[in-house]
Amino acid sequence: MPTTRPTKKAVAPASTAKARPAATKKTIASEPKSRKRTVQEAQRDSDDDEFGDVAIDMASDDEDMDGDVEDDDEDDEVDAFPEEEGQDMSAADLEDDNDEEEDSEGSYMDGDSIVDSQEENEGDEAEEDDIESDFGDLEDDIDPNFGHNLNEPRPVESDYNPIKREYPEIDPEYDSDSSTEENENTVGNIPMHWYDDYPHIGYDIHGKKVMKPATGDELDKFLSTMDDPDSWLSAHNFKEGQDVKLTAEELEIIRRLEGNRIPDADYNPYEDQVEFFTSKTEIMPLSAAPEPKRRFIPSKHEAKRIMKIVRAIREGRIVPRKSGHVPPKPKYYNLWNDAEDKPREEHVMHITAPKMKLPTHDESYNPPAEYLPTEEEIKEWNDMDKEDRPKNYLPQKYNALRNVPGYGQFIQERFERCLDLYLAPRVRKNRLNIDPESLIPKLPSPRDLQPFPTRLAVEYLGHEGRVRSVSVDPSGLWLASGSDDKTVRVWEVATGRCMKTYHLDELVTSVVWGPSKEVAVLAVTCGYKVGLILPEKIFSPELTLHSEEYLKAGFANSATSEVNPKATWKQPTPAEFEQGIRVWVHLQKPVKQVTWHRKGDYFATVAPDANNSAVLIHQLTKHQTQQPFKKTKGAVQRVMFHPTKPMFFVATQRYVRQYNLQRQELVKTMMTGVKWISSLDVHPAGDNLIIGSYDKRLCWFDLDLSSKPYKTLRYHQQAIRSVAYHKRYPLFASCADDGNVQIFHGMVYNDLLQNPLIVPVKILKNVHERIDALGALCVEWHPTQPWLISSGADHTIKLFS
Amino acid sequence: MAKLHKKGKSGAAVNYITRNQALKKLQVTLADFRRLCILKGIYPREPKNKKKANKGSSAPATFYYSKDIQYLMHEPILGKFREYKTFAKKMAKVMSKGQYSTAKSLAENKPIYTLDHVIKERYPTFTDALRDLDDCLCMIFLFATMPKTDKIKAETVENCQRLAAEFQHYVLHTRSLRKVFLSIKGIYYQAEIKGQTITWLVPYQFSQDVPTDVDFRVMLTFLEFYQTLSGFVNYKLYSDVNLVYPPKLDLKLDEGGAGMNALIIESTQSTANIAQSINSSVAQPTSSTAASLSKEEKKRLEESEKRLRTLTNKIARIQESNGTDQASAESSTNDNDDAMDEFPTPLPNLDGTSSSTVTFSDIQRASQHLSQFQSLFSNCYVYLSREVPRYSLEFVLRACGSHVGWDPVLGEGSPFDENDERITHQISDRPTQGHRFLSRQYIQPQWVYDSINAGKILTTEPYHVGRTLPPHLSPFVEAKDGDYVPDANQFEGQTEDLEIQSDDEEEDEDEDEDEDEEEDEEEEEDAEHKDLHQRELEAEAKGVAFTEFEAKESKKKAKASKAEKETAATPAAAVTRSAAGKKRTAAEVEAAEAKELAKIMMTNKQQKLYNKIQYGKDKKAAEVEKLTKKKVELANTAAKSNKKAKK
Repeated sequence: MPTTRPTKKAVAPASTAKARPAATKKTIASEPKSRKRTVQEAQRDSDDDEFGDVAIDMASDDEDMDGDVEDDDEDDEVDAFPEEEGQDMSAADLEDDNDEEEDSEGSYMDGDSIVDSQEENEGDEAEEDDIESDFGDLEDDIDPNFGHNLNEPRPVESDYNPIKREYPEIDPEYDSDSSTEENENTVGNIPMHWYDDYPHIGYDIHGKKVMKPATGDELDKFLSTMDDPDSWLSAHNFKEGQDVKLTAEELEIIRRLEGNRIPDADYNPYEDQVEFFTSKTEIMPLSAAPEPKRRFIPSKHEAKRIMKIVRAIREGRIVPRKSGHVPPKPKYYNLWNDAEDKPREEHVMHITAPKMKLPTHDESYNPPAEYLPTEEEIKEWNDMDKEDRPKNYLPQKYNALRNVPGYGQFIQERFERCLDLYLAPRVRKNRLNIDPESLIPKLPSPRDLQPFPTRLAVEYLGHEGRVRSVSVDPSGLWLASGSDDKTVRVWEVATGRCMKTYHLDELVTSVVWGPSKEVAVLAVTCGYKVGLILPEKIFSPELTLHSEEYLKAGFANSATSEVNPKATWKQPTPAEFEQGIRVWVHLQKPVKQVTWHRKGDYFATVAPDANNSAVLIHQLTKHQTQQPFKKTKGAVQRVMFHPTKPMFFVATQRYVRQYNLQRQELVKTMMTGVKWISSLDVHPAGDNLIIGSYDKRLCWFDLDLSSKPYKTLRYHQQAIRSVAYHKRYPLFASCADDGNVQIFHGMVYNDLLQNPLIVPVKILKNVHERIDALGALCVEWHPTQPWLISSGADHTIKLFS
Repeated sequence: MAKLHKKGKSGAAVNYITRNQALKKLQVTLADFRRLCILKGIYPREPKNKKKANKGSSAPATFYYSKDIQYLMHEPILGKFREYKTFAKKMAKVMSKGQYSTAKSLAENKPIYTLDHVIKERYPTFTDALRDLDDCLCMIFLFATMPKTDKIKAETVENCQRLAAEFQHYVLHTRSLRKVFLSIKGIYYQAEIKGQTITWLVPYQFSQDVPTDVDFRVMLTFLEFYQTLSGFVNYKLYSDVNLVYPPKLDLKLDEGGAGMNALIIESTQSTANIAQSINSSVAQPTSSTAASLSKEEKKRLEESEKRLRTLTNKIARIQESNGTDQASAESSTNDNDDAMDEFPTPLPNLDGTSSSTVTFSDIQRASQHLSQFQSLFSNCYVYLSREVPRYSLEFVLRACGSHVGWDPVLGEGSPFDENDERITHQISDRPTQGHRFLSRQYIQPQWVYDSINAGKILTTEPYHVGRTLPPHLSPFVEAKDGDYVPDANQFEGQTEDLEIQSDDEEEDEDEDEDEDEEEDEEEEEDAEHKDLHQRELEAEAKGVAFTEFEAKESKKKAKASKAEKETAATPAAAVTRSAAGKKRTAAEVEAAEAKELAKIMMTNKQQKLYNKIQYGKDKKAAEVEKLTKKKVELANTAAKSNKKAKK
């Protein structure tokens, strides 16, 4: 509420404070005293007033009447009074003891000055000192300074708070803020409901509680409002906790605010402008001061600045404006002195700009006719992007110099050159100036590595399908071949005569002669079965007889032995027996390869589709079949027995694994690095092997050296189908779908430190015609002679010697 | 423990700096940075590993060498750029306020940068500058023909014209032009100055239409540098041959369109100079008696010879001075400037060394060739008709010692007019020639260029006015074995005997020359035999084994014979040979097979490299084959049409 009052009233309390120093002086920190004193004062004040009654609402009446500022303030004080009383009442129990004590002392005197009372307090404490020795030391310390530091808070003892600071009374004349004087409650702008549960509604400037004014119940309120005709003019002051009657001015302000007008009725928003500088020339100057002396003497500052320049000119730091007659410095002079100049040291990072390319014949205005482009070339050149053109001009011919026009792109080309000079990154590139022939390795002449097959000697004609497999019998006289025309043929090696033809019911994928010279037997794979054939009438009768018995022996044994469900040994039909077939082994999946153990009793088969039984080892004499691997890793491509040791090689798609059959363990895994192995062969000494792959590579492994290939060669244009070592000569060969057969000299030394020597010695080109993307399918060496036999998709078998 | 190497603290990471980093470091705008780069000759680099150079980032960036940028930091030009920036600000401020007097004084103190130090820094020796003169000359000659536009100032063009003329004068004066080539782009010239070959391209003189897609700021920055460079180079060149630089400009001639001739070339020679040179030249040979074979010695020897040579010339010139008229004096004094004197009896002190030094006779022969070349047209009086390009022909002819006159249409200052009786050749480029003087030959301009490239005066017959010209070949192509060699000019071998009626003496001289030539040829043959012995000796000195030497020799011979064969073989013969090539001998087949087999054993890396090289070779061969094929076809069609015509 007071904030809404006009400001001139706000100044008033200061004057009142000055007017009544005694009144505020009497508010003493010492609680019981001050209370009493204020009560007394109030009483005196009220005595002065017309009204002896101290009722709250009543007190405001006279305010209206006199409108005096002083009175107004006093009203506030009067308002505050009952609060004090209320507090007094409530805190009466607490303070009774103190009062009694003080009363018993009898030292209290009404109207004493502060000093007096404090002196008295001192005296009190001296007595207390005796009573309570606990605080003796503390009191002693304070004593000497006491008279000087009146403003120091003094510890005051009370029963609930052993040491209580007593604050000196605030002198309103010096440091009290007069504006807060009558505003007893100091809580500030806070929600007042925080004090709902307390008996007080805040604290006054001295830190004392301001008690809630006594309020009657609703009935009392109602009655009072009914009694008071001005109740509708009063507003509730929450801070004070009571109703305040609004003055006429305040009501006027409210009215004006409601009417959206400026609250102050006296305020004129449209006052006349006060012109500081008028357009009118005044007769008298604003200042009558005489012209200062500095206006008449040269400026020292300017002199300083000028002297600075003068000094600079003298010292030559500033060159005065050039006069026209001074000859200019020569623009060019001798920059280089041949004797003294040292050439720049060669540095790696200093790269000189390359010179422009010198023009060739075709840039001539009159080039030889062959340099002129044809129409297609012109079109091609025009269609090309500017950047892609090998040369930035087209050769042209003019028959006389006078016909030559200006070159349209001259400036552009020069500009491009400029850009090249400063924007193009430069890099030092070493041009490899070597003879390409020097890259080709020097190899021993093939002539020194003879014998090896060089020319076609015999051609074996008769098959009507691709010849998948060929094999030469250990004696080297007979050649067997299996073909897609479902026949197996036996040929005389030397003449190329077909001795026997066996008609089977499936495609023949593999044909292998038994390795033993005592037994003449031919293993044939044909669809799901493997057949063992005894070619009749071509071998000596003794051999034939011996073989017959050897093959028969198994059937006697098979009756006793347990039957492996993976392979069943069966007798051929009489017709088949007539042909020469002696034994059938039926497998569960199509068989792709058969290979013999060196002794001729065991043979292994590969049926890639039959997961874990892909590899089976069969014993001929006992008609038994073993499954060496419980699990196979990857699709098995080829298997091979070691030529001397009880080892077994299994080539899956990408790896070749070497197993020890005796100890039944994996010895070594060869990482081929190829995508798909197609063929495998082991060197007769057993320490090296070669593989061919469908991705055109041939890898040579040195088993003692590493699990990685010793050499990987890529020379075939198509997938390699077959590789083979010669049994006696240091030769090996490979054939591929491109129809070529390559022959290498592959020397293995007994010295472990010496690497095998591999020298290509012969390329037999287009040995077999390519039919349906298939060329040469199988190569095989003659067991004793350096002869090579190859078969292909063109239904032929060829022997090279 | 070895020292720990922190990443990014050494190697490529610190050697290279990206362009943006450089800009930040130098605190310049991109435009200023580019100008600086052009002027200072700083160029981006291509680090071997971009990722390492760019602190692990593979984002595309332009890299500069960090030290280049470091040096740029205290570049005076950079300071001047900054000064200029503030100057421009000040100027704008002053002008906007209308304080014109302040503006005037500001303008007078406008910061100007010079490029002298940059040139010295970029080209520490004069040879370096000459080596890099190609682009400079191309640019100067281009801008000399440019029209004035809003971007190209008239002064710039004028300056370029002047610099170009100065350089041409030097080439004339020293007769250092070596090769000329008329291409579709312009005319290529090649001069040899102080052992450096300098090639430049001059556009045909038509008005250049200025393209819009060209950033002339870049071009002009380059030009700014090149102008300065060319000025300093010209100064050095002129002062080295004792000429006054800058030559004065004859305004009257210049206005009359005399072009190059408007410059007045003056000599700075004085007797004192000559006396000095005499002393030094006498001193030099005596000092070279030490007869060591080192290269330095040889160089010195050459120098001394040169000095001797020039000395005699100078003396001769002094003796016959004042006699000749001014117009021809200039050219005549230059006549035999670099021509080598013949030493009928070699200096006694050199005689002792001659047994071991091969080089002296070689040098002598070479210099003889050179002097002959330099005075190629010295007996010719050539008159240029109005339709031929004087700017080129005059330069080329005079650079080879000719006297040149021209039609008044082509400009002022012709030393003689069309009716002059001394004229031996008139160059005209028209379908038919109307009026003819019987005393002279009317030829097309190509004859001049072909003669220079051939190094001798060719027969004029195929070049007569109205004839179909023989092809004009580039003199810059050096055919290696395997390259396509177009039909050599069939007239090249024929030299022309000049018929000069006026001076009998000259004729005698000519005859002498002819004889000399014959002798030369004989000498050459002799020399070949001698050479062998000498080369052997040389090889021995170098420490080459005799067998190796022999092998080399035989190789050389084989090559020579091969080359001969190739040149002798006509295209038709070539075709038959290729046909015959299909039938190879057994040995060849075997060799080819062995090669094929050996290729199998190549490693992957070798194989790739081999294929790469082979690819290039094959491409080249294909090109050659294409050309030969085309040529055969053309010959066939020509023959057919001839037959038809006959019928």
